[in-house]
Amino acid sequence: MGLLRPIASRLAALVPVVLGITILVFALNAIALGDPARAAMGQRADPETLERVRREYALDRPLPVQYVAWLARLARGDLGESFREQRPVGDVLVERLPATAQLAIAATLISIVLGVAIGALAAVRAGSALDHVLMALAVLGISTPVFWLGMMLALVFAVTLGWLPVSGYGDGALRHLILPAFTLGALHTGTVARMTRSSLLEVVRQDFMATARAKGLSEWAVLGKHALRNALVPVITVIGIGLADLLVGAPLTETVFAWPGVGRLLVAAVGQRDLPVVMGAVLLFALVYVLGNLLVDLAYLAIDPRMRDAARA
Amino acid sequence: MTRAALAAALVLSLVTAAVAGGGAAPRPGGTLRMVFVSDPPTLDPAHATDLTSSAVIRQVFDALLELDDTLVPAPALAERWTISADQRTYTFHLRRGAKFHNGREVRAADVKYSFERAARGKRPWVFEKLVGARDFIKGATAEIPGVRAVDDATVELRLDRPFAPFLHLVAYDAASIVPREEADKRGAGFASHPVGTGAFRFGSWRRDDQVVLERFAEHFRGPAHVERVVFRVIPAEATRFNEYAAGQLDVSDIPTGRCQAVQADPKLKGDVGIWPTLGTSALRFNVERAPFTDVRVRRAIAHAIDPSIIVERLLERCVTPASGIVPPVLSGWTATAKRLPLDRERARKLLADAGFPGGRGLGTLAYHFNTSDANQRIAELLQAQLKEIGVALELRRLDWAAHIKLVDDGSAGFFRQGWIADYPDPENFLTVLFHSRNVGAPGNTSRYRNVAVDRLLDEADTMAPGPERMKRYQAAEQMIVDDAVWISLYHYASRGLIKPQVKGLERSPQSTAPEFLAPLRKVWLER
Repeated sequence: MGLLRPIASRLAALVPVVLGITILVFALNAIALGDPARAAMGQRADPETLERVRREYALDRPLPVQYVAWLARLARGDLGESFREQRPVGDVLVERLPATAQLAIAATLISIVLGVAIGALAAVRAGSALDHVLMALAVLGISTPVFWLGMMLALVFAVTLGWLPVSGYGDGALRHLILPAFTLGALHTGTVARMTRSSLLEVVRQDFMATARAKGLSEWAVLGKHALRNALVPVITVIGIGLADLLVGAPLTETVFAWPGVGRLLVAAVGQRDLPVVMGAVLLFALVYVLGNLLVDLAYLAIDPRMRDAARA
Repeated sequence: MTRAALAAALVLSLVTAAVAGGGAAPRPGGTLRMVFVSDPPTLDPAHATDLTSSAVIRQVFDALLELDDTLVPAPALAERWTISADQRTYTFHLRRGAKFHNGREVRAADVKYSFERAARGKRPWVFEKLVGARDFIKGATAEIPGVRAVDDATVELRLDRPFAPFLHLVAYDAASIVPREEADKRGAGFASHPVGTGAFRFGSWRRDDQVVLERFAEHFRGPAHVERVVFRVIPAEATRFNEYAAGQLDVSDIPTGRCQAVQADPKLKGDVGIWPTLGTSALRFNVERAPFTDVRVRRAIAHAIDPSIIVERLLERCVTPASGIVPPVLSGWTATAKRLPLDRERARKLLADAGFPGGRGLGTLAYHFNTSDANQRIAELLQAQLKEIGVALELRRLDWAAHIKLVDDGSAGFFRQGWIADYPDPENFLTVLFHSRNVGAPGNTSRYRNVAVDRLLDEADTMAPGPERMKRYQAAEQMIVDDAVWISLYHYASRGLIKPQVKGLERSPQSTAPEFLAPLRKVWLER
């Protein structure tokens, strides 16, 4: 029960954040050159048709009016209609959401499992050659451009070895998900691994670890039961920040692997000045990010009793 | 078997194989796997404005006419037509028994419905020549009086004045025939689930992933050869190439900068298909914007540009050098225009005459182009070439939406903007791009106004087809080139990789890429 209030206050704090983001995106669009009606017309634009399309899109009205109208529709749960596809933005987003969600979840799982495992292994063998190799790999994962890594993985595992499909969603089968998920997950695996290692090494030096060892527990039990749990707090922070990496990496990964997700949609919509879709997709990303961080906050509370007490106070 | 018998058997089998291969009859069945760079925005012929959408629409719908492989109008839903002596009334006799995918027969009333529906769509210019169309498009009237269903099988189209390329408009995909009941029932949803008469019916479409079309067994020409067509949507060039290399695509494009490499590759060279198309890459000036108001400045720049380097080095000789504006591949067209030749001495003199000796006083000129690797490299080359006559260029690179905005509203003075023909007629280049009536977004972004050119174009547009008409276009073209409002760089080519088992894929000058516009009902897969 005591957790309800902190959750509610955090949720309430989200409203101004999300509103601010939408105002920012709307304003950026106003600064950006380009007319959605013109962009939808191809090479040859008939001036009267352009005027008609502008009226249909309500682009002939002042920007603040457009924004308020957008907000009013949003309050009713209506994200408006895509200029490019002439369909409700809700539909446009919803049909691409599963692909992005699968990709993001798979990438996050990969980065957590691999990252924590690599980090823990490196910490246990701190200073050894294995530690150096693993940490070098982690840095490589962080610094490799998503686009390049995706191309290389596809070249090796799809074109040369023929084990996995080059690209596409296929029928939604797992084999289509593997390469994009590893590509998107790699970036973050490195960060998680490095944070796990340093955090574990930090914890190992603390007094309670000596107590645990003194109790006669094996080194693995000491690390697994006592150290890892304590070391996870900063790791969770990194995972929360990692959501931002996912959002940045998703459009690129989806482009390399022709994955029909929201990231690619957003990129195309910006190019087409399809403002309702841009607003809808940004709103969605903002919500995911903000809610993701809320989950991280809650995870702290679950892991660290001191924070639970602080939150209740 | 003796050695001689063996040899004889071998020879015989070779001969048989050769005969079977040479005269190969189309084999039905199979899936044709094509690829698009981006998702089609719509599959509704009234709302499409891009080639990707049209590529699908052409397979799902038919128009009254179509263009044959030499781009001559040929029967489609209309089996024959007559043109009145004054060239203003066209009467089309519909084929009996042509059916929509929902099983209903096509009637003349469908033509009137389809034209009026599309006239209020995104490409009204296709219909504006019809009597009363302009008022209808504006919403002032309830119908286009120039379209009349005479009886169930006869449609009469009347024009305000003669228009020589009119049959091309009738064959255009914006003039596709749609069934009213389906369009009404689905409303905006018709764009996601089109119903036409075409050789392929709509199957499924997962956005940004793939469009699937299925063979329509009751097509009026009989069923197509392939059972299914899949258009994958793959935005990354390297990924398309990988899919092709992995055997997952039957047709794809040649990656940028690999045009010679694929032709040298023993595994790929047999698949390479390159053919000239109806398009011209060009630089344009806004003649209302200083210093380009001065023809001497424009000519100086034209004389300083050497497009052969672009053709030879940047584009690896996979495009055609251009002299004039209208591509020579246009049937019935003889290219006569002479470009302003590379002549730096002359360029320097023109600049000095205009009051800018050695480029002094000009300042830095902005050159606008839309984002692409090729455009960037071309821009850098232009920058280097103009530096030789003392003209400093500042490169302004923007994405297409921003670029076209600056071009349309006249803010860009010197910019890249080519042209790809909507239909194969010189009118579609010269009148659309240079008639004073089309200044701005309709096509004449040079904002060029020349009474003599207007007069030649007006005459030619309304004349009966023939050499006299072409002479006027040729004269107008040379005047435009000499006025240096447009500098042709090269003519576009379609550059594709096509697996050898794909047979019957038309390589017409209108197919700007292998996946665009070719009628896929003619394609079969050799297995």
